[in-house]
Parts: sequence; structure tokens; C-alpha cells
Amino acid sequence: MRDKKLENIRQDYGNIRIPEELLQRVEAGIQQAKEEKQMEKKSKILVYTGRVAGGAAAAMLVIIIMANSGATIAHAMAKIPVIGAIAEVVTFREYESAQNNMEANIKIPEVSVKNEDGTVNEKTTQKINKSIQEYTDEIIAQYEADVEAAGEGEGHMDVELDYSIITDNDRLFSIRFDQLLVMASGTQMVKIYHIDKQTGEMIQLSGLFQEGADYITVISENIKEQMKEQMAADESVMYYLDSEIPEWDFQSIKEETTFYVNEDGKLTIVFDEYQVAPGYMGSVEFVIPTEAVEGLAQEGFLK
Amino acid sequence: MRKEALQKKIEETVLDSYEAMYRLAYTYVRREEDALDIVQESAYKAIKHAACVKQEAYIKTWLWRIVMNTAIDFIRKNQKEIAVDAFYEDVREDSYQDFDTIEALEVLTEKEKAVVVLRFFEDQKISEIAKVLHENTNTVKTILYRSLKKLRLKLTEGEPDYER
Repeated sequence: MRDKKLENIRQDYGNIRIPEELLQRVEAGIQQAKEEKQMEKKSKILVYTGRVAGGAAAAMLVIIIMANSGATIAHAMAKIPVIGAIAEVVTFREYESAQNNMEANIKIPEVSVKNEDGTVNEKTTQKINKSIQEYTDEIIAQYEADVEAAGEGEGHMDVELDYSIITDNDRLFSIRFDQLLVMASGTQMVKIYHIDKQTGEMIQLSGLFQEGADYITVISENIKEQMKEQMAADESVMYYLDSEIPEWDFQSIKEETTFYVNEDGKLTIVFDEYQVAPGYMGSVEFVIPTEAVEGLAQEGFLK
Repeated sequence: MRKEALQKKIEETVLDSYEAMYRLAYTYVRREEDALDIVQESAYKAIKHAACVKQEAYIKTWLWRIVMNTAIDFIRKNQKEIAVDAFYEDVREDSYQDFDTIEALEVLTEKEKAVVVLRFFEDQKISEIAKVLHENTNTVKTILYRSLKKLRLKLTEGEPDYER
């Protein structure tokens, strides 16, 4: 959505006519409440119920706050990564900013990769951290440029970047970044880094498969089948496939297509918003049945 | 803070922000007479239950919540009438109005409306809105994100699809 449209709605909102009698009505409401309270003071029973009601509301408020802070703690605890055998998040930095009505909250983890003998694998450690740094720097630079562009005027933007360790098994360590960008419209972007624990190397999708295996065609065809099935089953589902504008259609995944291995050990392909479907579908994922890539994948990644 | 002082503070806040309260109410019911009723009732509730506010800093968020809840209750009670009225209003207004007016907010749920209005039109912080809705900030961001997506769909209806 163009900012202008939201701005138009905002103006329309600001132009809502305030009726002349509004202040009078507000005062009438206040007056009525005051009078009733005065009456209550005269009757002890009423005052008492009033207190009980007040007390109950206060107690509820406390419970809600406690539940919330409990959730925050649980959330924070869940983020402390499980220390894996050879790859782990050792620390993280946070970039936080709030200015001109714009907010940024970006978490930048630092990963350490160790060889089997416990020594640090400098090469992969540097490589992944550099890659993460470039990625987060880009997001921060974009945010700062937007703040600057907004100047003294009204900017409306929130950018959130959080990470999580989504896989840490015998073979694979994967760290996932979710970027949420709210700027008049919202955008969701996912970036995932993987380390093959057997070799200590960072890998892309191609790293899961044997050399020369044509996994790209197999997976792309499987995704197309799934798109067709989903569209046939549900009218509200829409992908760019066999559409009127063939250039937009989904053709094929790439070597560097975003993926992760889900909890069941299945390969899951991730597409950012707009990549293969209209914006309202958001970011979409396809789980590829392991049978479909049987004989192509290397041992130990998929189940 | 002592009870009397707190009530006085609430009264001052109401008298400072009744126009904003009215606009929020109007966004929900889109009828002057109904919005006036909602604001009057909200002012009444705010003073009547002044003792529920524990901290001065929460007065504003607490007022927003009262207006939102009062408006939602009002809609529930009068659902049928509003539906009919809104229908005729739409027919009349569509003939000369564009989509980018507060009418567009009708695609949003009650909660989404509050989030969009408070964030973009009343410039409230995400953390404040979270307090109004009794939700955590992440939930509010998710609601905001979803609402904007719905609005975008509504606002680009019938337009060439440049943005994909």
C-alpha cells in the first residue's frame, strides 16, 4: 500500500467532525459518576461492594501482569540456545533505536564453530559471523536511511529482527532470522544459515545433496504439484503458477533457495512474501516428502 | 497517589483527550449520535471506576481501553440497526467518495481497528497499545502487520497490480 493512501485515511480520521455538544456530554458523564459516588458514600453497604469490585479488578490486573512477565521470562529462556557439540551462539548484540516514531530492534548473534577436538574452526566461524554481520548491517543501514529520510516529519516504521536455532542435530546446525518490517505495509523476510557439522562448512541447499544430483528439478516439480493441490482444495489459496503472466510464474527453486529441516527431519522450502504468491499469502513454506528426494540427498540430513 | 487526587487526574485527562476519545468511538460506529453516547458513557465509567487505576502513567491507556470496550459493547447490543444504517450510508457515500477514507477500516476486526487507529492516527507506541489490549508487544505487531495487509488489499481493489 502506498503511504499516501494511509495518509489519506489519517487525514480523514483527523477531519472527523467534533460535534459541538461533545464537551457537554463528557461533563454530563463525569457529573453522573461523581453524583453516584457521593450517594455511595452515604450507604456503607454500597461503599463496601464498591471496594470489593475495585479490589477484584486490581487483583486481576496483577495476575495479568504476572502472566505476562512469566511469558517474557519463558520466552527469554527459550532463546538461550542449546549448546551443540560443535556450533553454538556464544553471545549476541542488540541494536535498539526509537526515534521519529520509528522503532528498531535487531538482535545480532555471534556464532562459534568448533572442531571435534574442541579447537575453534576459525574459517567457518569468521565466515558465518561476517555473513550475519553483513546481513544485519544492511538492515540497520536501511533503517537509519529511512529515519533520516523521514527527517523531522512523521515516519512510521518498525523493524524487528530475531533469530532462533531451528536445527541442531548430529549433522546440521541451522540458525534462522526472521525480519518483520512494518512500514505502512508489512513485509516478512526469512534468512537461514546452515552449518554442516560433519565438515564444519556453511552450506546452501546444494550442500544437502550428492554431487551432480538433479534435486532442483525434482523439488521444483514437487512444489508445483503441491501448489496445484492447494489451489484446487481452497479457493482463497493462490500461487503464481500457470497464470496469465507467465514471467511471474514460479519456475524453479535455486541452489541458494531458503530452506530448513523441520522437526520431523523433512526438507522445508521457504519463500518470502511476493516470491511465489500474492502478498496476502505472506511467506509460504513447502514440506518436501523425503521419498521424493530419495537417492539424491546425502546421508544424515533428512529423515 | 490518594484516591481523590487520582480521580482528579483522571478527570483532567478525560477533559484533555475527549476529542481523541470521540474519534476512536466514531471509527467504530460511524454515527455522530452513537459516538457521543459512547464517549459520555466512557467518561462516566472512567470517573466511577477511578479506583481501578493504580498508576498515573496508565490513565491514558486505560481510557483508550474503556472507549474501545464501550464501543464494542455498543456494537454488540445494536448490531442489527448498525448493519442496516451502514448499508444505506455506504450506498450514498460510495457515489462520491474514494476508498481511502476511514470507511476502509471496515475490513478490520474490532481489535485490528484499535491497533491501526492508535498506532497511525493517534501516534501511540506499540508498548502503550499492548497495555490497552492486554497483549504483549509481539502480538500487537502481528495484529498491526495483518491489519495493514488487509487494508492494502482493500485499497488496491480494482487497481492495476503494479506492486505484486
